[in-house]
Amino acid sequence: MLNETDVVASSRTNDVSVMSGAVIDIMPLALATVPWGILCGSLAIKIGLTAIQAQLMSLLVFAGAAQLASITIMGATGAISSIFSSTFVISSRHLLYSAVFREHVRQLSFLSRICIAFFLTDEMFAVTCAYIEKHRVFSALYALSAGITFYVVWNLSTFAGIVAGQYIPNLESMGLEFAIAATFIAIVIPTIKDVSILISAVVSGFSVLLFSIYIPDYALIVATFCGMLAGYLNPMKEYDNG
Amino acid sequence: MDNFWLVLAVMTCITFSCRYLFLSRTISFELNPRIKRVLSFTAPAVLTAMWMPIVFLGHTASDVAFFNSPFLYAGLFTVLLSLKMKNTLAVVFLGMSAFVIFRIIL
Repeated sequence: MLNETDVVASSRTNDVSVMSGAVIDIMPLALATVPWGILCGSLAIKIGLTAIQAQLMSLLVFAGAAQLASITIMGATGAISSIFSSTFVISSRHLLYSAVFREHVRQLSFLSRICIAFFLTDEMFAVTCAYIEKHRVFSALYALSAGITFYVVWNLSTFAGIVAGQYIPNLESMGLEFAIAATFIAIVIPTIKDVSILISAVVSGFSVLLFSIYIPDYALIVATFCGMLAGYLNPMKEYDNG
Repeated sequence: MDNFWLVLAVMTCITFSCRYLFLSRTISFELNPRIKRVLSFTAPAVLTAMWMPIVFLGHTASDVAFFNSPFLYAGLFTVLLSLKMKNTLAVVFLGMSAFVIFRIIL
């Protein structure tokens, strides 16, 4: 029979292995966003933010796509309302993620739930769902370790962009934004598992090109709604399993 | 940017609220299946709406013609790769490499 110290020791080694597993699982996804973090940092400097303002965006907002969209709009001196509406549209997918985590975290303390929410990203959601599928149990420790690892990498790459942007002219014209396209392609394409999702992605993707010409500030929000609606109303949904 | 601190504060609130809303206990209602189904299209729709303009309109920032755009060819190559490979980092790395190569040769 195990005595108390054994139990403590074994749960401690177990904790360490959960944490290191989380770090190993999320690291490839975190590294894939490094060029994007660099772009966010250097662009923020270029449009006139101070180094501290640029870093605070990554420290507090912690949402690459929303940060980049807002920096672009600020740089073009676009409407402040379009910054907020873009941020909301881009972040609204996190509503779904938190709805999925809801049943698993409701019993946790307020502080744990606050932390899980703060560190919730596409990448953290993806690896945590894989963990749940594999172990049939949600682990707050796993989710937080993955989320914090991603946070550290994201902020270090933003910092690198802030520093590099001051010494390397035209860093933002080197095509770093292609890293965003590549990351999203790599995340989205494998999730297209039925016709409704395909229709949703295709409608949103092509309508955004059209709207970019006529209503550039609101292209993202309008196209996203069109895509979601098209997926939901898909007339062929009887052939889907989902 | 005059309103930077306002923008930062509001953006922080928006992103955090979206992440926290359904983790809060004060929200006691359950999402009905229809809303859940609409929400399930958020990620594919918004992510696609973000990468398509980079791939198909990326050339407009410089003087490159559409059919000479490295964004176009590297983007299509990355789509093909992601259909074949599961490893996200490998797809991103090879896609970026393709972009660098297309930039040099086109």
